[in-house]
Amino acid sequence: MNIQEYISNGIVESYVLGLASAKERIEFEKMCTQYPEVVKARDDFEQAIEKQAMENAPVPPANVKEKIWPAIYQTPALNTSKIISMEPTTRSSSGLRWIAAASIILFLAAGYFAYNFYNQNKKLQNSNKDLEAKISEKDSLLEEQKIINDPNVTVVSMVGTKPGAPSANIYWDTTSANVFLVVKNMPKLASEKQYQLWALLEGKPIDLGLFDGGKDKIILKMNNVQKADAFAITIEEKGNKGGPNLEQLQSIGKTKL
Amino acid sequence: MIFVFFTNYLSLSTKYSEQELVALLLQRNEQAFGYLYDNYSPALFGIINQIVPDKEMATDVLQDVFINIWKKISLYDPVKGRLFTWMLNIARNAAIDKIRSKPYQDSLKNQPLTENVNTKSGNYIVDPKVNDIGLKKVINRLKDEHRTLIDLSYFQGFTHEEISKLLDIPLGTVKTRIRTALTQLRTMIQ
Repeated sequence: MNIQEYISNGIVESYVLGLASAKERIEFEKMCTQYPEVVKARDDFEQAIEKQAMENAPVPPANVKEKIWPAIYQTPALNTSKIISMEPTTRSSSGLRWIAAASIILFLAAGYFAYNFYNQNKKLQNSNKDLEAKISEKDSLLEEQKIINDPNVTVVSMVGTKPGAPSANIYWDTTSANVFLVVKNMPKLASEKQYQLWALLEGKPIDLGLFDGGKDKIILKMNNVQKADAFAITIEEKGNKGGPNLEQLQSIGKTKL
Repeated sequence: MIFVFFTNYLSLSTKYSEQELVALLLQRNEQAFGYLYDNYSPALFGIINQIVPDKEMATDVLQDVFINIWKKISLYDPVKGRLFTWMLNIARNAAIDKIRSKPYQDSLKNQPLTENVNTKSGNYIVDPKVNDIGLKKVINRLKDEHRTLIDLSYFQGFTHEEISKLLDIPLGTVKTRIRTALTQLRTMIQ
């Protein structure tokens, strides 16, 4: 088959506009996998149609959007908290999956301990003390989990500025201003260096605290911040008191879309 | 100076690429959906309103279309085409379903025909205003015999077989003319 003839006989347009028969569609999709020029012709026409359809398009009545939202909210969400991702190709971060799994395990573990504590209270005085200690430990972790799962918490995914750069998620409670940093990957630094987290508000950096590298998958409580346009991580001298060293900008994540 | 760098960095992503938008929609990101609606609702409303001339009914269809896009985003396959093409086909199909529905057909029978018939486009109801926008605008520049076929197949959702019977033209001729009309359409918009 002459591919140019195939492209110019109207199949591209039929396919894009939904006028092709099932048989034609299957054939066209197969041609797309074999001939980049077919894909190119399809993409060109798609873009032209899009441009044409956008031109002078009538704005629908304003109340339509309001009517749509309730249906949107009813749809079971994959993540309950707001996710703002700087990694468009990643569907869900491994950090979040880890936290979700950890929170279920912690919940079940705490429940199990509490159940045992209640039933064996009189019999097992000694082990009770042990269990009590464990419960309080889990409680503090659960407190953090609670913050992370809170719908008021905004999740900001920090993406490295270069390959292999550190990555982390920030869980930021915009009502209480608490900031938690969940490290996904923070390479170890030389002993005189530390990472530093900054909030950026209207172009000005706010110090949210220093931390060491080398530990992955840990939760760090950072300084509180009420307002921020973005978060950034730089590498600084240990105990840095000055401003950020932007040549050492490692990761950045925007809070707003 | 360093702050200028940050400011520039931050202003970069106010507009999404299609890929970013799809990824965020798959994450059930409501802001991304808001952006999707703001950006594409006029174009989709345009096409729906060209098929369903009644503005109120077209608005209902638009509402369903966006809810369906939100629910079915995981079915979108970027290999098969652009996001807009996918949404456009959802909108067109929903609008055609609407005009073929019984309540819609019944509502037509209750309307005074003389006010609504646009004789140039055949014996169905077309609001003249919606002829001047988007795809209709280009299609109106096609030769009559071609325009009628595109109107019937694209805007009315008739199959080639139905058109063949309706206009008493051989099926092969219907196919050839639609293909010719479509290639002309492309040269007009590209």
